[in-house]
Amino acid sequence: MQGDPQTCRSRRVAVIDDDAAVLHSLRFLLEVVGCEVATFASAAAFLAYDRAWPDCIVLDFHMPRMTGLDLIERLRADRRSGSRPDARIMLVTGSSTPALKARAAALGVTVVAEKPPAEADLLAFVGVCG
Amino acid sequence: MTLDAEREAHLRAVLAAAPDAVVVIDAEGSIEEFSPSAERQFGFTAAEVLGRNIMVLMPEPYRSEHDRYMHRYLATGERRIIGIGRVVVGRRKDGSTFPLELHVGEVRTRTRHFFIGFLRDLTEAQTTRARLQELQQELLLAARLRATGQMAAALAHELNQPLAAVANYLRGVQRLLEREQADMARVREAIGLAAQQTLRAGEIIRRLRGFVARGEMDRRPERVSMLIEEASALALVGARERNLHVTLNVPSDLPPVLVERVPVEQALLNLMRNAVEAMTGTDRRDLTISATAADGQVTICIADTGPGLAPQVAVQLFQPFVTTKSDGMGIGLSICRTIVEAHGGRIWAEANPGGGTVFCLTLPVAPATDPARD
Repeated sequence: MQGDPQTCRSRRVAVIDDDAAVLHSLRFLLEVVGCEVATFASAAAFLAYDRAWPDCIVLDFHMPRMTGLDLIERLRADRRSGSRPDARIMLVTGSSTPALKARAAALGVTVVAEKPPAEADLLAFVGVCG
Repeated sequence: MTLDAEREAHLRAVLAAAPDAVVVIDAEGSIEEFSPSAERQFGFTAAEVLGRNIMVLMPEPYRSEHDRYMHRYLATGERRIIGIGRVVVGRRKDGSTFPLELHVGEVRTRTRHFFIGFLRDLTEAQTTRARLQELQQELLLAARLRATGQMAAALAHELNQPLAAVANYLRGVQRLLEREQADMARVREAIGLAAQQTLRAGEIIRRLRGFVARGEMDRRPERVSMLIEEASALALVGARERNLHVTLNVPSDLPPVLVERVPVEQALLNLMRNAVEAMTGTDRRDLTISATAADGQVTICIADTGPGLAPQVAVQLFQPFVTTKSDGMGIGLSICRTIVEAHGGRIWAEANPGGGTVFCLTLPVAPATDPARD
């Protein structure tokens, strides 16, 4: 099995998605495999988060007000200024265009995945984080 | 010259110069004036029609209805045309018909009562308008296809959310059940949540269906005779050149139907145009449009005396892209069907007993409480 739960135990994962059901179901799945999960219904909610920084972030691209990529730009700027540590990022999108993939790659996104991401990809992502 | 003679000379000059036909009738419908322009439009000389009833310039069913209209107006003052103006069908001396715009004024003197009609031949204008309407129809179709594409994209995105959630819950449940001592409370909760998301997906699909079936708000009670008259006035452009004879059997006491006027007229127009085109190569060119009411529905039939339909075409007639025309897209009849079925009606074709084809469609009768628009 990819993403052996043991390797992920005690890993902190942040999930950011504006859909409550997607958010809750991801929390459920990731908690089942042993992750410590924090969920956020918007980019702004995540930016306001000031507790234990996640090792990796599962981020929805299609969100109102601030998209996933906009959020990543903010996070990268913060990292350069040293105000936030780094985290690996999986960007999840319903329709990934070449332009979106290029922009994501330029911003250092680890994985761009179709929504819903294959379970193996998701667990491999959180399993190797940190 | 006396004052009266001078006025008479002025009037003659006005009548001779008017581009629109001018026809004056008395309260009995008898023709008193028939301008040179009217002679050109109708092919009658003034001498041939003076003193005759105005009905001579009308095809059925107006011909037999007109006396009744006039008597009703004189008795009740109910206006259907006076001071309003509308598109009607005129009949030439040779029996052919053409669309015209009619405006009627009224003159009352102490002793007499006249009506003055101004008639503009719309054959040219209607050709232009018909082309415009064709273009609009094509645009409408393109817009519908585009809207459908956008809707499909939005639907795909929206359906993805509950499906992603269901997948996540079930994958998690699967993992829980693989363990020796599964936490059944967590399993039950997650399965319940997954089931909720499948209902959400169903709700999204129901909304899609609602979108497809939309348009009920635009339906109003409409007079069947008006729908048919307006559609036929447009469809019969060039009818004279095609040596076409048109009969309308539309009783004036039909109940109004509850429809969206423009698409229904478009469907009728399509069927009439098809009928006219089907008779291009035949000797007898009789177009008969009739309407009857029964069981809460009005049935409108459009009969031609063309060559009729080949059986293999008749079967799949209302499918998109089936056509017998060399330059046709085969979309017209499928649009007609979509329009009719959206109104809860039915459309079908049958052989005309005398040769040719009859297309029939049904439309729902409007509830009795709504007054029909005139």
